[in-house]
Amino acid sequence: MGTEESFYPSEEDIEKWMSRAFDMAREALQNGEVPVGCLLVYNQEVVGKGRNEVNETKNATRHAEMVALDQLQDWCRRSNLDVRCVCERTALYVTVEPCIMCAAALRLFKLPVVVFGCRNDRFGGCGSVLDVASADLPLTGNTFKCVSGHRAEEAVEMLKTFYRQENPNAPKPKTRKD
Amino acid sequence: MEPQRKRWKGSECGSDSWTVYPVLSDEQSQDLELVEAFAAPVLNKKETSRLLRELSSLYPMSGLQHIKRVRTVKGSPHPLEVLLCLVRDAPHMEVLSIDSLLPSGVKHDALGEPFRVKIPARPPLTRPQFEQAGKHWPTSFHEDKQVTVALRGELFTAPQKASMHMHMMSALTAAKAGSELGMDAVGAVVVDPSTEKVIAVGHDCRGDHPLHHAVMVCIDLVARSQAGGSYYFDQYPACTFTPPASDTFQSPPSSLPYICTGYDLYVTREPCIMCAMALVHSRIGRVFYGTASADGALGRKYKIHTQKDLNHHFEVYRGVLGEQCEDLTSKVEVYRKVDY
Ligand SMILES: [Zn+2]
Ligand SMILES: [Zn+2]
Repeated sequence: MGTEESFYPSEEDIEKWMSRAFDMAREALQNGEVPVGCLLVYNQEVVGKGRNEVNETKNATRHAEMVALDQLQDWCRRSNLDVRCVCERTALYVTVEPCIMCAAALRLFKLPVVVFGCRNDRFGGCGSVLDVASADLPLTGNTFKCVSGHRAEEAVEMLKTFYRQENPNAPKPKTRKD
Repeated sequence: MEPQRKRWKGSECGSDSWTVYPVLSDEQSQDLELVEAFAAPVLNKKETSRLLRELSSLYPMSGLQHIKRVRTVKGSPHPLEVLLCLVRDAPHMEVLSIDSLLPSGVKHDALGEPFRVKIPARPPLTRPQFEQAGKHWPTSFHEDKQVTVALRGELFTAPQKASMHMHMMSALTAAKAGSELGMDAVGAVVVDPSTEKVIAVGHDCRGDHPLHHAVMVCIDLVARSQAGGSYYFDQYPACTFTPPASDTFQSPPSSLPYICTGYDLYVTREPCIMCAMALVHSRIGRVFYGTASADGALGRKYKIHTQKDLNHHFEVYRGVLGEQCEDLTSKVEVYRKVDY
């Protein structure tokens, strides 16, 4: 157990939780939903598990990350834990780079680290369109670290498959390798 | 004397007490950039068109199509001056002279002594940019009349301003209601400008949830007005939405959640990057805000509404009831300083 500053998921953590996120994404794809898997993990426990709820809520901001953050807050309430303390030691694992809005939301929750699969060339907020993750925005929470590229091609493939099926609401990736 | 003055100031807040300005892209608002060139006076006016023809094939000045090749200098014995080439395109020479700039093929006895001049590097996009550019060298200008009028703060008619005034007043009232509950003093209103109908009114609720900024609250209230939504803000009397009239409401033909298409948002303070991007996702029509914010994403830190890579762009205006909105914000900042 390190201090706040040194909080960083281990290689095994990344492997394990990203694999779970990919399972979620694949499941979503099979159900005709946006294939994005998204987990918030605190202390080896999943405290938020979001799926894209844009269509059923008619609220275009209900991305998987936003849904997961709500669950984290509910989990803290139920567990009688302080959201701020939990967030300091929580990592987000997500198959696609969070968009600009979600990256800002993660800052506002003061999450220290985000692990993602492929880039999001249309909306990405962790460097692809803007780098909200590390921008100097003193009134918008904290910066966070990014670990990117984990099974990126697989994540892109799923999005492309989904696109061929329909729906314009998902992040549209380009097969770009960098 | 003092209370008298205050009362007078309070009653003065009609829609002529503020001016609304557009928040333009960086390209439209950036300062003039200059590039160095060589020019020379034309000694024999009759030779001008031949010189122009030969010069433009010799030195095409590509990327500078906005530059007029010839200018007229009033009061000079040789009022016509022609651009020869950019300094960076010129051949290397020990001493500046026409002979070294133009190869022997070009007959140049109609040209006087060459000189250095700074010319505008980019085409002007707005009238202020055009006027700035013209002080250095004449350029062409494809004027967007609406932008010109908007930059003068004269885009909206008196009745339009009166309606903007009314909507921002609602946002201010909501902000104050939220602030009394311990929230940040920010309020927002979503209006359908085609019917002038108010769709949603909301205020900041981040005391309950760190993401419930006034704009996010309004977006969810708009979703609720269309039988969607994720939250209940019913415990906040100042957060309201107008349910669709059952006989007129039709669900949009597609189930796409671009629910703010064509709507106007009034918000007392410039939205943050999360809220600005939420407005992109929701396809907002126009945004009007009162006062800028240090982290603002519709003008101050970013201009999300003009961000090239994004798939939706919209107009943004600032300054609606600017002073009253500013007062709201500064009060909160004072309060915060005490708090922390
Ligand atoms: Zn997102
Ligand atoms: Zn915000």
